[in-house]
Amino acid sequence: MHRDRNRHGLPLRAGRVTRGQTWKPVPAVAYCPGMGSVRERHCVTTSGVPTGRPMVFAHGFGCDQGMWRFVVPEFERDHAVVLFDHVGSGRSDLSAYDPVRHDSLRGYAADVVELLRELDLTDVVFVGHSVSAMIGVLAEQMAPELFGAMVMIGPNPRYVDDGDYVGGFSRADVVGLLDALDANHLGWSAQMAPVIMGVPDRPELAEELTNSFCRTDPGIARQFARVTFLSDNRSDLPGVAVPTLVLQCREDAIAPDPVGVYVHEHVPGSVLTRLQARGHCPHLSAPEETAAAIRDFLRG
Amino acid sequence: MIAVVGGTDGEGGLDRLLDEDPADLYENAPMGYFSAVPGGRVVKANRTFCAWLGRPAEEVLGARFQDFLTPGGQVYAETHLLPLLRMQGAVREIALDLRRADGSVLPCLVNAVEVRDDAGAAVLLRATVFEATARRRYERDLLAARRAAEESEARSRVLQHVVSDLAATVSVEDVATVIVQRSRAALRARGAALVVVVDGEEGGAPGLRFVRTDGLPPTLLEEFRATVDRGLVRELPLGVRSVPLDEALHRSRPGLAAAMARAAVTELVVVPVTADSRQLGVLALVLGEGVGDLISLHEPGERPPLPEADVDLLRTIGRQAGQALERARLHEETSRQAERAAFLLEAARLLAGAADVTETVERLAALAVERLADVCVIDLVTEVGTRRTAARHRDPARQRLLDELRARQLPQRSDDHPSVRALAEGRTQWVRSPDDAYLRRITVDEQHLAISRALELAGLVAVPLVADGRRLGVVTFGADRARGSFTAADVEMAEQLGLQLALVVAKAQRYDLEVRTSHELQASLLPASPPEVPGLGIAVRYLPATYGVEVGGDFYDVVPLADHVALAVGDVVGHDITAAASMGQLGSVYRALLVDGPAPSAVIDRLQASWSLLGLQRMATALFASLAPATGQLRMASAGHLPPLLLSGGTASYLPVVPTRMLGAPPAPTPAVEWAGVLAAGDTLLLYTDGLVESRTADVDEGMDRLLQVAASAGTSEPDELLDRVLAELTGPHRGDDIALLALTRR
Repeated sequence: MHRDRNRHGLPLRAGRVTRGQTWKPVPAVAYCPGMGSVRERHCVTTSGVPTGRPMVFAHGFGCDQGMWRFVVPEFERDHAVVLFDHVGSGRSDLSAYDPVRHDSLRGYAADVVELLRELDLTDVVFVGHSVSAMIGVLAEQMAPELFGAMVMIGPNPRYVDDGDYVGGFSRADVVGLLDALDANHLGWSAQMAPVIMGVPDRPELAEELTNSFCRTDPGIARQFARVTFLSDNRSDLPGVAVPTLVLQCREDAIAPDPVGVYVHEHVPGSVLTRLQARGHCPHLSAPEETAAAIRDFLRG
Repeated sequence: MIAVVGGTDGEGGLDRLLDEDPADLYENAPMGYFSAVPGGRVVKANRTFCAWLGRPAEEVLGARFQDFLTPGGQVYAETHLLPLLRMQGAVREIALDLRRADGSVLPCLVNAVEVRDDAGAAVLLRATVFEATARRRYERDLLAARRAAEESEARSRVLQHVVSDLAATVSVEDVATVIVQRSRAALRARGAALVVVVDGEEGGAPGLRFVRTDGLPPTLLEEFRATVDRGLVRELPLGVRSVPLDEALHRSRPGLAAAMARAAVTELVVVPVTADSRQLGVLALVLGEGVGDLISLHEPGERPPLPEADVDLLRTIGRQAGQALERARLHEETSRQAERAAFLLEAARLLAGAADVTETVERLAALAVERLADVCVIDLVTEVGTRRTAARHRDPARQRLLDELRARQLPQRSDDHPSVRALAEGRTQWVRSPDDAYLRRITVDEQHLAISRALELAGLVAVPLVADGRRLGVVTFGADRARGSFTAADVEMAEQLGLQLALVVAKAQRYDLEVRTSHELQASLLPASPPEVPGLGIAVRYLPATYGVEVGGDFYDVVPLADHVALAVGDVVGHDITAAASMGQLGSVYRALLVDGPAPSAVIDRLQASWSLLGLQRMATALFASLAPATGQLRMASAGHLPPLLLSGGTASYLPVVPTRMLGAPPAPTPAVEWAGVLAAGDTLLLYTDGLVESRTADVDEGMDRLLQVAASAGTSEPDELLDRVLAELTGPHRGDDIALLALTRR
C-alpha cells in the first residue's frame, strides 16, 4: 500500500538524499524492532534535508514523538529533522528501560547524547518540550560539542515549590498526579483501545492510542512521572552555553509564567518569547505560532 | 388494579416524557455535559455538571475546565487528555477528579471529542462527565490490593535474593556484603552497616566489629561507631528499632544527630542479627533524602514510619544474616584452625632449628607478620636490660614505623604499655580496641604517639615469655584496622607461640651463659700470645667450633726454659665446659712438670701415671716437644695425637712421631716413644689439633693430604702467614670442632 505520510503524519518525499550510513530513507512506517542500535532503541524517525542544520525534537512526559507532527513540516523544508521516543515511551525499546539509569534525568540525557553520537550529528538545535528541556540542559552539559542551540518549550527546572521558588506544585499535587496516572492505567488496556476508539476505518488512530497510552508500562509511566516532577535542575541552568530560546505559553499549569522567567533569567543570554497559545502544548494547540517563534529565534 | 390504571396513566405520561424537550434533556441529563473552546475555556455546561460542581452556571462559564480538576488531574489533562484529543480527535473514559465548591472531590470518568473545522483546526471540545465514585473506589481498592501484592512480591524477591546470595557465602565478610547491599537496595537506604559482636577480653564486655559499611559518610560513621560502642549492645533485644532524627535525638545524642543532619539522614534503623535467639550483631540502615537525584515526596522533616511489612522483612533478613554468620564463622573457624596448626608447626620447625637467638627471633617475627598479625615486636631480657630484638610490620612500606619503634627500648615506656605490663605481671595483655586516649596513655612523647597512631591499630596482644618461672621477655602483636581486632583464638595462638619462643630463648640463654663462661675460662687458660724466643718465630691460633657448644678442650703452650723451649698441643675430649676445665687443669699440671725440664716422653709418662690422681674426667690427646733454638735439636712424643708437619725448603712432610695411648686411656705396658731430630734453620714445624684436618665432609686422611699440599704451596716460612694461609684454605665459616695451631720457624 502506498502512503505518502508516515504514521506520525509526516510527509514522505521521494528522492531523499542519503548521507553515508547514518542517514537512511525513512520507511513508510517506522520499524522499531525490540533490540539493537541506539537508533532502534529510540524508534528514531529522520526526515527533511539531510544536509540542513539538524533539529532534534524531544517529547515531554506523557506523550511520544507524534506530538511534533504539526510543527515538523515547517522545518523539514530546510533542516535535517530527527524525532525519537524516550526509552519507556511510545514505540521505544522497553527492554532498554533501566529502573536505575532512568531514575534520574541524567539517564535520559545520556540516552540523548548516545543518540546524537550514533547519528553523527553536531551543531544540533535541540527542541525539548517540558521535561525534555531539562534533559537537553543535562545532555548539553555532558557533550557540549554536539549542541548548537536549545529551544525549551514550557520548561520547568523544579516543579515542586521550594521556599521562595515557585515551581507550581506541592508534593501533595505530585502524589495526586501519580494517583491520576494509576487511575487511568487501570481503566485502559491495550485490548480495549481499538474498541473504545470505535473507528475501524482509521486503524492508525487506534494504533496511536495504543502507542501513547497502553504501550507504556504503568510502572515506567509512574517512574517517569516521579523523575519528571521530583527533579531539581535549577543549578544546571547557568551551565547552558548555547543560544537558548524559552517559549512560554499563557495559562500553562505545568510551567507557569514565573517559572519561564526564572529559566530565562538563569540561562545566560537566553531569549524569552511569550506565546499567545494557552496550556502546556503549544506545538499541538498553536503549531504555526510555535514554529514561527522557533524560526525567528534560529534566524536571529 | 391500581397497577393497571397507573399503567395506563403511566403509558400516557411516558409518551409525554419521551417526547421530551431537548433542552431539558441536555440540562438535566444523568451526566455532566460541557463544551469548551480550545485551551479549555468552558462556553456551555449543563445543569447536572454545575450541580455536581456545586457552582452556579455563571461561575462555571468562562472558567477553564481544568480549573475544576484536582492538581494531579490538571497535569494529567495537560499531558495526556488534551494532547490525545488534538491528535486523535476523541478520548474515552479518562479518570479525573472534579473539585467541588465545598472542597470535596467527585471521582469521574470523562469522554470528549474535538470538533474541527475543514482545515482540521480545533474549534470546540465537547465532553461528557460520568460520576464514577463507586467504580473508582473499586478500582482504587483493586489498585491498592495489586500494589500491596506487588510490594509483597518485591519483598519476597528481596528475601529470595538474600537467601540465595547467602547460600554462596563462605566468610563473615561475604555475608556482610550480601546483607548490607541487599537490604540497602530494598529500603532505598542511603547507607548501611553490618556490625558483629566479637568476644570480649577476659571477663570484659563483648566488643563490636564493623564488618562492612556502605554509603555512610565518614563523620556519620564515626559518630555511629561511638554510639554503637556506648550502648547499642544493650539495646539489641529490642527488635527492629527506628531512631528518627528529631528533637529527642538532638538532646540525647547531639553528635550523632548533627552528623545525621549533615548527611541529610532522617532516620536510623537498627535490626538485630540473631541466630537461635542469640544476638550476633546488628544491621544498621540510614534512611534519608536525596537517594538518587530526586526530591523526596515527603515534606522536609516529615517521614512516615517504616511500613510494618518492611519491619518484618528486616527482621527476617536479620535472622537470615544471623544464621549465615554462624555458618560462615564455623567455616572460618575450621579453616583458621587448620591455618593456625600449620603456622604453629612452621614456627616450631623454625624454633627447633634455632642456632642464634637473635636470628631466630627475627625470623619468628617475620613469620608472625606473615600469618598472625600486622605488627610483631619482641623484647628480650638480657644482662644489660631489656633489648628490643625484633620489630616487624607486615607491610614493607610501614616497616619504617617499626624501625623507629625498635629504637625505643621497653624501659622507656609508660607503665601502662601492654608490653611493660605483660612483662611485669607475667600475664598476657589483650587490648581489644586501642583508641586514641589509650595510645596517649601508653606513649611517652608526641613522636611516639604519632608512630602509634600511624600504625592504625585495631588490637594489641602482649604475651610474656616465661620459662621455668623466669620472665625472659615479651612478644607483642598488633592488628591494624584492615585486619580487625584479634579474636580469642588469635590470642590463644599468640600464647602458644610465646610459650614455644620462651623455651627456645631459655635454652639459648642457658647455652649463651655456658659459652661465655667456657670462652672466658679457655681464654684465661691459653696464652694470649706466644713468648718472644730469640732465634725462633712462633705463631699460635685458637678457633672455637661454630656448631653446637662453642667451646672445646684444645690447647697449645709455648714455654721458654733455660736451654730449650717446651712446646705442647693437645685436645681434651668433648666440647663443653668440662672439657675446657680439664684442659685448664692439664695445662697447669703440665707447667708444674716442666720445672724439672723433663723429656717429652717423660711428660707423657708422668701424666699418664698421675691421671687418676689428678681426677681429670676426660681423656686427651697431646703432643709434647722440646726444641733447643741454638742447635735445632728437636725431641717429640705423642699421646694419641696427630703427627706434626715439617716444612723444609718448600717441601712439606709429616714427622713420624709414633703415638702411644691417649692421656687418661686405660693403662698399657708400653711407655711413650720419643722422636728426636734436628730442625734446620729456615725449617718450620706445624703442630695442630684434629679440628684442622677433620670435618663433617672429609676424613682425617683427606684432611692431612690437603694440609700437606697447602703448607707446601704456601710459599712462606713466616709462622703467622703460614697459619693464615692454612686456616684460609682448610677451614670455612662453619667448624664442627675447635682448632689449635702452633707454628714455629727456626731462623
